[in-house]
Amino acid sequence: MNLEEIKSQAKKEIEAVKEIKDLDNWRIKYLGRKSDLSLFFDNLTKIPLDQRKKEAQQAHNIRLFLIDLFKSKEKDFLEREENNEYLDLSQPGIKKEIGHLHPISLVLEEIVEIFRSLGFEVIEGPEIETEYYNFDALRIPETHPARDMWDTLWITSKMLLRTHTSPMQIRYMEKHQPPFRIIVPGKTFRHEATDASHEIQFHQVEGLMVSKNINFSNFKFIIEEFLKAIFKNNILIRFRPSYFPFVTPGVEVDIKIRPQFKEQKPKVNQNEWLEIMGAGMVHPDLYKIVGYKEKNLQGFAFGLGVERIAMIKYKISDIRLFTSSDIRFLKQM
Amino acid sequence: MLRFSYNLLKKYLPFKESPEKLAEFLTMYLAETKVSYYQKRPILEVDLLPNRVSDCSGHFGLLKEIAAILDKNFVFPSVKIKEDKKMPLVGDRIEVKIKDSSCRRYQMRAIWGLKVKESPLWLKNTLEECGLRPINSVVDAVNYTMLLTGQPLHVFDFQKVAFNNKKPAKKEIIVRFAKKGERILTLDNKLYNLENNHLVISDTEKILALAGIKGGKSAEVDEKTKIILIESANFSPEIIRKTSCQLNLKTDASYRFEHNLSCDLTDYSLDLAADLIQKLNGGEILRGKIDKKSGQVIKKEIFISFNDFEKFAGFKISKKLIKKNLLLLGFNLKEKKNGISAFPPSLRTDILVKEDIIGEVLRIKNFNNILSQPPQAELVFKKEDENWLLKNKLKTLLRCFNLYETYNYSFISRREKELIGESFKDSVIEVLNPTSELFSFLRPTLAFNFLKNIKDNSRFEDEFGFFEINNIYLKKKNNFKEELVFAGIIYKTVKDKNLLFEAKGIIESIFLRLGLENEKYLFKDFSKDNKYLAILKKGGEIILEKEKIGIIGYFKKDLLKKYDIDGQAVFWEIKVSPFKKFIFKDKFLSPLLKYPQTKRDLSLIVRKDIPVIKVISIIKSSPVRYLKEAELFDVYTGQNIGKEEKSLTFHLIFYSSRKTLTSEEVDKEMEEIIQNLRKINAVIR
Repeated sequence: MNLEEIKSQAKKEIEAVKEIKDLDNWRIKYLGRKSDLSLFFDNLTKIPLDQRKKEAQQAHNIRLFLIDLFKSKEKDFLEREENNEYLDLSQPGIKKEIGHLHPISLVLEEIVEIFRSLGFEVIEGPEIETEYYNFDALRIPETHPARDMWDTLWITSKMLLRTHTSPMQIRYMEKHQPPFRIIVPGKTFRHEATDASHEIQFHQVEGLMVSKNINFSNFKFIIEEFLKAIFKNNILIRFRPSYFPFVTPGVEVDIKIRPQFKEQKPKVNQNEWLEIMGAGMVHPDLYKIVGYKEKNLQGFAFGLGVERIAMIKYKISDIRLFTSSDIRFLKQM
Repeated sequence: MLRFSYNLLKKYLPFKESPEKLAEFLTMYLAETKVSYYQKRPILEVDLLPNRVSDCSGHFGLLKEIAAILDKNFVFPSVKIKEDKKMPLVGDRIEVKIKDSSCRRYQMRAIWGLKVKESPLWLKNTLEECGLRPINSVVDAVNYTMLLTGQPLHVFDFQKVAFNNKKPAKKEIIVRFAKKGERILTLDNKLYNLENNHLVISDTEKILALAGIKGGKSAEVDEKTKIILIESANFSPEIIRKTSCQLNLKTDASYRFEHNLSCDLTDYSLDLAADLIQKLNGGEILRGKIDKKSGQVIKKEIFISFNDFEKFAGFKISKKLIKKNLLLLGFNLKEKKNGISAFPPSLRTDILVKEDIIGEVLRIKNFNNILSQPPQAELVFKKEDENWLLKNKLKTLLRCFNLYETYNYSFISRREKELIGESFKDSVIEVLNPTSELFSFLRPTLAFNFLKNIKDNSRFEDEFGFFEINNIYLKKKNNFKEELVFAGIIYKTVKDKNLLFEAKGIIESIFLRLGLENEKYLFKDFSKDNKYLAILKKGGEIILEKEKIGIIGYFKKDLLKKYDIDGQAVFWEIKVSPFKKFIFKDKFLSPLLKYPQTKRDLSLIVRKDIPVIKVISIIKSSPVRYLKEAELFDVYTGQNIGKEEKSLTFHLIFYSSRKTLTSEEVDKEMEEIIQNLRKINAVIR
């Protein structure tokens, strides 16, 4: 076949192609390695020199023409195919399951990350604690009625399940010199009747920052920054007096959902102030108890309730859900 | 929580604030306060903090605080006693002996010839508003005095106190420890057996009262009483707390004494009570009063420099404000060069260090009016928070496998403890005072939590998995040990013979991500003494560098039955601590392969009891050069093969780092492998 014949035959044949697989056969026939056109190029040297250039040029043009022909036909086919496929976007996506972290883990992680970003180190301590660290060293001797503030689960006459994360204040200070800033996340226990707002086990994050010049105004700053960060600035904060033997003055920190963030029908009582942490300036006796020689140390400590924060953040109305391991609850995270 | 009568407060200090407003102030400045109503009369319920009971448990003390908050002044009203000049000295009639210094002060007055009646309405109302039950006009008068000052008082019927045989004119009151075996019948007709560490008030014959806690029947004031002794005393908080705890007897008096009342409070309260009793009941007050002290009350002086104020608060507080706030609270002040000497008011037994005083200045300023400033802190480089990071990494990984994270109770019940079997029993820690039988022991494994979780959730779902990363608790002799574990279960209602391998797959994936290639660890059959055999069947131990770090296995069928669980569940429990040394190592990556790998499948039939690990080791030990990997991807038992046989299919991967392997080269290698597998009579399919 001469070049022009190839061209016209190819053109004729491609018009008759009805299916995409036939198109491929066409491609092999006219553009493949064994096609007439390819053979023509293979044999190019056999053509006398004076004609060669001209014919090569012609063959090249035909080749380009055929490629275009192929591409446009192929495009037609693909478009037709796509047009025939009906997509119903309202059909739901195919489920890809991943697991669920517990709300306590998520809130703890959020709390810890905020403090880590402020340069606090994360320390953990034992859940089975001695009476000394849990009480005596924190200025809560057995003879002091303040002890009644912590209902305790006992293991032996001297060993107990820690009622707060505060024993780590002593344990940490015994081994480290100021300046430092630490947080202690952990599980704590109380001898309590369980109901929607009381549990025998819950989590706290203790904080302790001590140096020569950490003052009350700094304490307020850190607490406020933390609360604003964790509640995305949707809250009001207030400080009021409290009492814990290991701090002076003792402070209770309450929060309240800002009016503009309240829901129409609130799940949790949003008009009330909610206690979120106990805090205060470290009592100077503690520095003596841990054996610091340095005078003039100042610092603050706080202990915040993790379940409390989770309940407010996620609008959970019953603290017992945390230990329920109910998939219907856990699934929502 | 203590109840205060709003009307009584208002009687002694004119203020305009409504009960609600007052409660709000008290909450912000002193302690959480709520308003309630008793027969339409407003009551302030103040949840006093333990350090403020000493000065605020009476209406006067609370008024001092209210006045300071409202920027007013309040002084305790003065009292004038009308003693009868013709009457004898009280000391002529009664002698007080204190045998122990835990009675820190003991004062007494006597009233002659009074008439006990029913109290007038105003008195009964006030008592009831504050939660006390009216009894008679004498007892009510001392209780009312307690409501005013906070000082518990007690009255004895003088005629019921025994005469001292040696001195007929005088009666004796002795403050002493009880003798073992002595008993007291209290005013509410309850009998208490006393120990020799219980402090009592007695005469020469019998016990009259439990010191600072409750009066006894033996010298009770009743309608026939004509002569009374009024006791106004102070006892050490420790002795009161100990006795009241041991006898399980908490009273208004013990509550107050426990909180370290000031010894200065007795004198004023005694006079106030005597005066009121006389006004209500008539009679003559004997001249003078008995006053025995064993401990000296020291006026404490605390010096604070103005610089201390600024350093502690973080900003400059004016001298004027410091002085004003402290004076409002009743401090005596002496201004000195650069600072101030403060004498705490005598009722404030809680003020001990200068930080307490600076705190008081800030409190009255209102914590919310104090500016917040970022700390100027040293830059401290943190150490890696390894434990925390490892836990989080594990959680994030475990969650990828479609498991739910749980936070179960750290406790198990007595019944669950019985299920564990002998091997576990000695290591279980008992709670001495559990809140419920369900929480009697600390969990030695998470298995029981998960069993309960499976039972609870299988009502809603047919298959699911849980994990938890928390402590288990074990006892070794007398040492208590907490061990952080990552434990989990996978549960399916329908039978799935691969369930264990699903769990094992999760664990292996996690190990790999924690930096442990599979040469480092081993899954091995349970050793005979493994304590988990009490609850698990079919499974084994996980060994890392020769240490047993965990277990995996199916829960025993009869255990599932006990929990009413249909289906099957695989449980694992693995210590976290051994991973610390792997996770924080640097990881090195390999370059991409230069030449293509060749993959061949190999299916073979072997006896069922030949472990896969053995087959793999035989494949790998064949005399071949290019085999890089032998991965099992299918196990088949059932039709078309013998009952005692199984079919295993492997992907074999061949690779040379120097060339592209030819098909002939790989065929040759395959032939060698097949030859070698003859050792275990493997039949190639």
